[in-house]
Amino acid sequence: MKLRTFLAFVAPSVAVMVILIAVPLVGIVYLSLYQSHTKTELVELTVEVPTFGGKTRKDTRLSPQPVLDENGEPVRVWKFVGTQNLAKATDLKQLTQAITDPGDASGRGFLGRMYQEVVNIEFWAALEFTLLYTFLTTPAMLMVGLGLALAVNSVTRQMRGTLVFATLLPMIVTPIVSSLAVYWLFLDNSLVSTLMEYLGFGRFYFLADKVTTRTLIILYGVWFAAPFAFIILYAGLQTLPLEPLESAMIDGANEWQRLRYIIIPHLSPLITVIALIHIMDAYRVFEPILVFSSDVYASSVQFLTYFVLSYEDNIHRAAAYSLLTIVGVILLLIPVLRQSFRERQVET
Amino acid sequence: MSRRRPIWLRSLTVSSLLVWTVLAVFPFLWMFLISFRAPVDAFSSSPKLLAPITFANFYQIWVVDEFWRFAINTTIVTLATVAVSLTIGCLAGYALARYRGSLGFWLLVAALVFRALPHVVLLTAYKPAFFQMGIWSRYETLVLVLVAINQPFTIWMLRAFFINIPHELDEAAMIDGCSRWKAFRLVIIPVMWPGVITAGLFSFLLAYNDFLIASQLMNGEMTTMTAALGNYMGQNTSLSKVMFGVAGAVTVTIPIVVLIYAFQKQIVAGLTAGAVKG
Repeated sequence: MKLRTFLAFVAPSVAVMVILIAVPLVGIVYLSLYQSHTKTELVELTVEVPTFGGKTRKDTRLSPQPVLDENGEPVRVWKFVGTQNLAKATDLKQLTQAITDPGDASGRGFLGRMYQEVVNIEFWAALEFTLLYTFLTTPAMLMVGLGLALAVNSVTRQMRGTLVFATLLPMIVTPIVSSLAVYWLFLDNSLVSTLMEYLGFGRFYFLADKVTTRTLIILYGVWFAAPFAFIILYAGLQTLPLEPLESAMIDGANEWQRLRYIIIPHLSPLITVIALIHIMDAYRVFEPILVFSSDVYASSVQFLTYFVLSYEDNIHRAAAYSLLTIVGVILLLIPVLRQSFRERQVET
Repeated sequence: MSRRRPIWLRSLTVSSLLVWTVLAVFPFLWMFLISFRAPVDAFSSSPKLLAPITFANFYQIWVVDEFWRFAINTTIVTLATVAVSLTIGCLAGYALARYRGSLGFWLLVAALVFRALPHVVLLTAYKPAFFQMGIWSRYETLVLVLVAINQPFTIWMLRAFFINIPHELDEAAMIDGCSRWKAFRLVIIPVMWPGVITAGLFSFLLAYNDFLIASQLMNGEMTTMTAALGNYMGQNTSLSKVMFGVAGAVTVTIPIVVLIYAFQKQIVAGLTAGAVKG
């Protein structure tokens, strides 16, 4: 295909991506370097204040009012502040303090106290749970997915359709809804907590404790992501060559050895791809945090940015968080990108 | 393969599959069950399998809270998103599958980075810009944003499908005197439908499942069903309001369940094509 034809074919798609993804990314950098506020001026306002017996008194005072431009819109003042937003977003001052002089919060060792102090800071707390979520759910979803793929592969064909249908549900149903469905099971006075009390485990308040909240969100993550690993690994199992398996059986390999030395090596390229896609998705975990209102115990970088953007309405701080998020995405993608470049060089 | 597995392994397999199936389906099943109940029966201190049925939650949400408006919005937004993303995505995916130069490679790498971006990053930039331009809370805006977010994934997936269509097919048409565009129209379009249907399903799911963008870009009556669920969330929501949320969530789930039932094969094919070949 000629370059001109190629450009003509990709033009609409590229235009949309440039205008709505690439340009906004530049905008983020710009927003994070500036501070803005609505310009105000002190205006003398005279109001009639009611006094005793239906009489009024004129009261004049100075009051700050937004300055309006010729279109009647409030004027915003933009000021370049450099890396100040970034420093504020990451609480650099508190961070240095936490690292150099960790307080005496508990009796644990120096490093433990330092860690406690660092994760008390909003941004680092969010980053901590995001990374915890990402690196705990990744191996777990792979293991559950592989287990399911092996299990489904060994049952009769008639059961497979139903199993695949059930398995697709957690993954495909709107994440907000699936988070809610799980959340409603674990509310105080809801099914799981009452059942556990009924069975004699005592009263549980799942969402009022750091450990149970975090466990619940991570389990939700595995439940949500394992179907994806399952579908792909199951497809991978269908392409498994039979000869090595048969010769291994003749040589007396047991189930575990066949899995360890033949099946897993065959699936390993797929496992890498699944892990990479899942890491990208886990890094932006958002819905369960929002639905479980768990940000006190378990927050995420994407949730924090959302919160600052929509509740604090501070675009500059949100932009600083976004910028840090982009840096994180690029760091996560470096292995993939290096791999693609190497393949590309081999090709050409 | 005639493998005699030990009995313990077979029972372990069957029982773990049973446990998984229950885990996968139960939260949705329970949600469906309690959506027809009064708050006392739904969150009662001794859970009931059967309780009096009421349609009050659905009445409240559909009639009083006017959920039908959001259903219409969702329909407009998702259908438009699917149509636009497929149209421009097919052109780009086809070109990426046929072009050998390095520009194609760079485009794919950029798309990969874009695909990994958390959506809130883009939202941060949209918020001040769209407000300034006065294109806030409009169907066109939301559709274009969703198309853009969808594009990286769509072009990767469609490229994987187009690579599987032998290039001799369109080259033969071009030798017979077709232009590239005519070859695409006459030879490729008739054979590309399985791939397009699958890519369309995933575009649909992304647009339909999106909460973050719609809840922030659209206000009041203009929002979608998924984003409207946000009205019923939060710790301080009263129990009766939670029940309306359950009814809303069931409403949002039903189309998805129908979709999975009807297009199970295509969804599985799409997931595998995206990962195995991408």
